Amino acid sequence: MSARVEALYKSRPRSRFVQLTLWSFGLFTLLTWLSGVIQPASFLTARRLENLERFLTVDIVPAPLREGGFDLGALITWTQGVLLDHGLDALLATLAISVLAIVLAMLLSWLFAPLAAATLSTRRPFDATPGQDLFGWRALRLVTRAVMILLRSIPEYVLAFLLLAILGPNHAWPAVLALALHNSGILGRLGAETIENLDPQPLRTLTAIGAPRRSLLVSAVFPLALGRYLLYFFYRFETCVREATVLGMLGVVSLGYYIQQARGKMYYDEMLLLILLGAGIVIASDILSAVARRYLRTAS
Amino acid sequence: MSAEALAALPTRANRRARLIFGIFLAALLSWLALDLSLADAIPRESGAGILSLFVEGALSPAMSYEAAEVPAGTPPLLSKVLEAVWTTLLFAVAGMSLAVVLGLFFGFLGATSWWKDDGADSPLGQGLLSRAMPVIYGVVRVWIALMRSVHELLWAILFLVAFGLNNFSAVIAIAIPYGGTLAKVFSEMLDECPRESARSLRAIGAGPLQVFLWGLLPRAFADMSAYAFYRFECAVRSSAVLGFFGYPTIGYYLRLSAENLHYREVWTYLYALIALVLIVELWSSKLRERIVIR
Repeated sequence: MSARVEALYKSRPRSRFVQLTLWSFGLFTLLTWLSGVIQPASFLTARRLENLERFLTVDIVPAPLREGGFDLGALITWTQGVLLDHGLDALLATLAISVLAIVLAMLLSWLFAPLAAATLSTRRPFDATPGQDLFGWRALRLVTRAVMILLRSIPEYVLAFLLLAILGPNHAWPAVLALALHNSGILGRLGAETIENLDPQPLRTLTAIGAPRRSLLVSAVFPLALGRYLLYFFYRFETCVREATVLGMLGVVSLGYYIQQARGKMYYDEMLLLILLGAGIVIASDILSAVARRYLRTAS
Repeated sequence: MSAEALAALPTRANRRARLIFGIFLAALLSWLALDLSLADAIPRESGAGILSLFVEGALSPAMSYEAAEVPAGTPPLLSKVLEAVWTTLLFAVAGMSLAVVLGLFFGFLGATSWWKDDGADSPLGQGLLSRAMPVIYGVVRVWIALMRSVHELLWAILFLVAFGLNNFSAVIAIAIPYGGTLAKVFSEMLDECPRESARSLRAIGAGPLQVFLWGLLPRAFADMSAYAFYRFECAVRSSAVLGFFGYPTIGYYLRLSAENLHYREVWTYLYALIALVLIVELWSSKLRERIVIR
């Protein structure tokens, strides 16, 4: 019996590459912590602990409560003050930036995905025996993919920072475009993968009866891929809301803008309230996107 | 296709159409709420100048400093770039290693499959633990949501204010939201993986912890490590951005160069970041290919 177990154990699927990865990562993690760049041991000095204590017991306590103990009325008035003065406007702006950005990203990715999908962007789409492709098609796929990689490997925050210098402050375009460009790279790649993973049989039938590429795309590929694509769309929407919050720190009017301002004025109580507001909007968009995904899944 | 499946088709199409209509309507409303004008999306005057510098920089990234005079003893640009890449990687690895620990711990507490299984008797028995677990579970779910819904840059700001500038605060700032995301996804993977080994272990008398360690974790492990690797890609980007707050990663140098209008240097840092992300992405997609066992 134990010999069988041993034989089974030995025949388990193994891959050199996976093992190499795990080992090198373990070693690298060790190296990181030993490198001296990060020093957790000397982190909690007496001065830092003092700083932390002041932060927790004084700085983040809402201003009207600092003297005289807890007073619910004062707390509510203070919260209302922050929210009505700029909190709610910033919340709305954050949401609007992310919605507009993700829709622009979607439109761009609808351009990228068909051009990057290996099964579609080729001389004979969905052919069972594709054979060697012409140079033009290969170049087209390669260029589209390179553009998408470029867009998605630059972080939104960096893109927004650069766009702010180019487009100037006082409007939301840098944030909207940064989020849209970055996400179009991601959605484009996911869309291309979705198209490549479609069941080729019905599509092959259509090409066999002479459907031109354009109608194949509009009336078969698009509706077949849309369901899965929308799942990705809502997943990216969540991250968009998260990022839109912090892009404000660069100077675009979203929650981050007021968080940065409160930090500058050392109103740490207000800063914490706005951060929690940001967390709230992220959780809300999480729920919204889960509801939308269920709405799609349970259609019957 | 059965008759019911055929009948379901129009509803599905309707729902999609409705959703897409809703999405475009929301976009229109957002456009109006933000009061955007198309003219602002086109660079003007000084912006156009910067754009041309930017495009020029993309075509010929700097190989040495752009400034006419560099203080004596400054290391060459490329070695500075390499150093920035190295710290970016270090911060990402350190943050991720803590995040994985957090993710495993809270993912375990946030999963239900090791202590609750529909149609089986309660694996925890009738003791105190069986009554406490639903409460712990609820608290952990809320905690996970809090960890991940605050952006890493906001955690970084909180720690900056609470502790001051310190490399370890940057590492925790990455570890907390990433730990929360990992915990959420890990717990879902632990709950959705096939249950038969867990059930047979339970049938021969294994306790909840044994069921988790030998019945559930091995089943979900491949997916979990693939996902953790994907998050590592994101951690590299986050680590680079943390430089904007004064940490010595790529973002720090990139920002300095941009503020001095040295856009060719900006592109050197950008290309370095892109290369780093690309290597990690290629590695992780190769890993995902090998790791899918099912």
